[in-house]
Amino acid sequence: MIDPEGIETLCSDMEVDHTDVRILMLAWKMKAEKQGYFILEEWRRGLKALRADTINKLKKALPELEKEVKRPSTFVDFYSYAFRYCLTEEKQKSIDIESICELLDLVLGSQFHAQVNLFIQYLKTQNDYKVINMDQWMGFYRFCNEISFPELSNYDPNLAWPLILDNFVEWLKAKQS
Amino acid sequence: MSAQKKKNFQIEAFKHRVVVDPKYPEKTWKILEHAIHEIYNHNASGLSFEELYRNAYNMVLHKFGEKLYSGLVTTMTSHLLEISRSIEAAQGEVFLEELNRKWADHNKALQMIRDILMYMDRTFIPSTHKTPVHELGLNLWRDVVIHSSKTQIRLRDTLLELVYRERNGEVINRGLMRNIIKMLMDLGSAVYQEDFEQHFLEVSADFYRLESQQFIESCDCGDYLKKAERRLNEEMERVSHYMDARSLDKITNVVEKEMIESHMQRLVHMENSGLVNMLVNDKYEDLGRMYNLFRRVPTGLSIVRDVMTSYIRDTGKQLVTDPERLRDPVDFVQRLLDLKDKYDEIITLAFGNDKTFQNALNSSFEYFINLNARSPEFISLFVDDKLRKGLRGVSEEDVEIVLDKVMMLFRYLQEKDVFEKYYKQHLAKRLLAGKTVSDDAERSLIVKLKTECGYQFTSKLEGMFTDMKTSEDTMQGFYASHGTELGDGPTLAVHVLTTGSWPTQPSATCNLPAEILGVCEKFRSYYLGTHTGRRLSWQTNMGTADLKATFGKGQKHELNVSTYQMCVLMLFNNADRLSYKEIEQATEIPASDLKRCLQSLACVRGKNVLRKEPMSKDIAEDDAFFFNDKFMSKLYKVKIGTVVAQRESEPENQETRQRVEEDRKPQIEAAIVRIMKSRRTLDHNNIVAEVTKQLQARFLPNPVVIKKRIESLIEREFLERDKNDRKMYRYLA
Repeated sequence: MIDPEGIETLCSDMEVDHTDVRILMLAWKMKAEKQGYFILEEWRRGLKALRADTINKLKKALPELEKEVKRPSTFVDFYSYAFRYCLTEEKQKSIDIESICELLDLVLGSQFHAQVNLFIQYLKTQNDYKVINMDQWMGFYRFCNEISFPELSNYDPNLAWPLILDNFVEWLKAKQS
Repeated sequence: MSAQKKKNFQIEAFKHRVVVDPKYPEKTWKILEHAIHEIYNHNASGLSFEELYRNAYNMVLHKFGEKLYSGLVTTMTSHLLEISRSIEAAQGEVFLEELNRKWADHNKALQMIRDILMYMDRTFIPSTHKTPVHELGLNLWRDVVIHSSKTQIRLRDTLLELVYRERNGEVINRGLMRNIIKMLMDLGSAVYQEDFEQHFLEVSADFYRLESQQFIESCDCGDYLKKAERRLNEEMERVSHYMDARSLDKITNVVEKEMIESHMQRLVHMENSGLVNMLVNDKYEDLGRMYNLFRRVPTGLSIVRDVMTSYIRDTGKQLVTDPERLRDPVDFVQRLLDLKDKYDEIITLAFGNDKTFQNALNSSFEYFINLNARSPEFISLFVDDKLRKGLRGVSEEDVEIVLDKVMMLFRYLQEKDVFEKYYKQHLAKRLLAGKTVSDDAERSLIVKLKTECGYQFTSKLEGMFTDMKTSEDTMQGFYASHGTELGDGPTLAVHVLTTGSWPTQPSATCNLPAEILGVCEKFRSYYLGTHTGRRLSWQTNMGTADLKATFGKGQKHELNVSTYQMCVLMLFNNADRLSYKEIEQATEIPASDLKRCLQSLACVRGKNVLRKEPMSKDIAEDDAFFFNDKFMSKLYKVKIGTVVAQRESEPENQETRQRVEEDRKPQIEAAIVRIMKSRRTLDHNNIVAEVTKQLQARFLPNPVVIKKRIESLIEREFLERDKNDRKMYRYLA
């Protein structure tokens, strides 16, 4: 098993920062269950899928991996994995706001820059929610994909959007006027 | 006797003389022609019907029907021409009379002629498809007399002139009118319509257009309506007297259109006399008239109804948002009831109990009662006031009437669960203070609530009554078994309340005086002795006490106080002066309650059994209290305690609101789960609609709150979102 220290070593070997999103992608490819640890099975799984048996080959496989993850068909899976990966306690179902903001930036920051920034701003200023659950997490991704930004013209609060997004949109509209 | 020669009896064919006379048809016709002349000259008495009939018969039989017919036409026409000229020559008034007389004559003549020519009528005419005699006579009259160029227009104008004069108040010869118009009717509906009716209607429209314009400029609404009604009745009467009944609807339509429809808006909105003014001043007669007249016109009633509705809504809205009114809940509700009574009366007396108006009234009330979030509380306070004192000495029937009115207001409430909360609180206070005017009245209202809302609504309320009864029995048992050992001690009366049935009160700390503690403990052990496994906690904020006090000059009074007040007063048995702090320490009553308690004992005139230094209204931490030796009261029994239901203060109101919101959450969730369980999958909008429908008997759920509950249920894995259609939810078994 590789522990957090081992992962850090791995990262420096690959010349990738350990907070880099590509490490998360790697974890996803391995279907790693516990944050900060890779067990042998997972390790093997990941390397086999990436067709790498040396650190160098692993490093070279990273761009390919990135491309794969960013494909719309696989991204959803990665996105929801990212959330689950952060649930460290056994019965935990939600993640605190602070961590969510970091995770959002990491995972969606490049793709949906504007939305992510504003949403993070909103999350930090509002008081209604102290944690985010999976439903809300997935809802945000849908939101980025489906709703025109920054016009928000096709957003309908009477539909089944999670309430936190209704509030976010209200906050945005108030900000815009 | 000689034998007769036998002869064969033969019947020979009847041989009548063959008429070979070529002059036969002409001669016969001449006879008939002469007869027609005589008839028209009023000389018919000298004629033999039988002979004439036979002549006509023979002509037809011998195939001279054509001659007979055409001769008839010619002769009749020439007579009618003469008649026509004489009518044309008639001057002035005589015109109609002459026409009438000649028409009567013609009819008589026609009848006689027809009788004479009946055989031709029955045989020759049908086979040749010619016009029958009677009809021919009418047609000729029409064409020759009525439609003569001079007469046609003159007739029409004369008739319309007479109608005009009659409308202006003159008395005209109605019998003559009737006869003339009946003549036109007899000539066929086309004649009646073209020669009279359509012009009549046109002229009437002009007349009423003009008149209504004059009226509307010079009359107020009530007067105008009276005039319109009068005109309408006049026209109806006119038709019945001298026109075809089928003209009735047509002329009434004209009057309705010109006098009512054209001016509806202006009438309704007329300043100082329009609909609103009538409503405000209960002008039942005028309102009834307006209803009956406007009802005849399409959209007439909806205009009245709309104006009434918006006025009621405005009035109601003002009532419920007026800060003055909101100070006195009982008055507030009474005004609502008065408003309802007023409009019920109007709808009954003036609008014929019209259901659409009733509905408009109901929807208006529903609208504005719910504009004020405190309506449920106020209605409960109103009921409380009635049941505590308002209904004292009132007959059973009248009690029912008041309660039914309350129920009526209750039905309008959207937030029935809020009402329930307050009702429980107020009922609890009434029961515990023994302050209810009539047990029957209380029960009656509970039954009504049960009928309206179902068993669940009232089961807890009924539990409260049961507890009261049970407590009575318990006390009897207690004194029966412990009576002797309690002897001189204070008399205790305990109400044992089942938690859950009674409104929850957070019970605070309070140190009871030693004398009381003793007997309380005895009760506790008695009770727990007979009811193992139960827990009792004293609700010191809900009790009362009667204290006997002796003042400076030996005056004795009995003081009725709250438990807190008792604790405070008992301290003065052992001290003449106590500071606020000392009292607080000794009693451990929470600060805000204690302050209120001390205020009621020291700062209220006539009830100041304690004296405070300084004499200010507010209680400060370093105030000092003294037993008021000089206390005076005219009454022996002095009431100081207040456990009476009152309008909540703002912070209390907020608190109650919050509790209500909390209570609603599980109800909403239960509804969601119920719905999803049976539907399996459902989209968001439909869930919201269904939940709202299910809960509408209790309150109107906020869609945002529903959404939040759905999300909470998703988190707890009762529901999930459909993977493909994001609008749908799915039930997780």
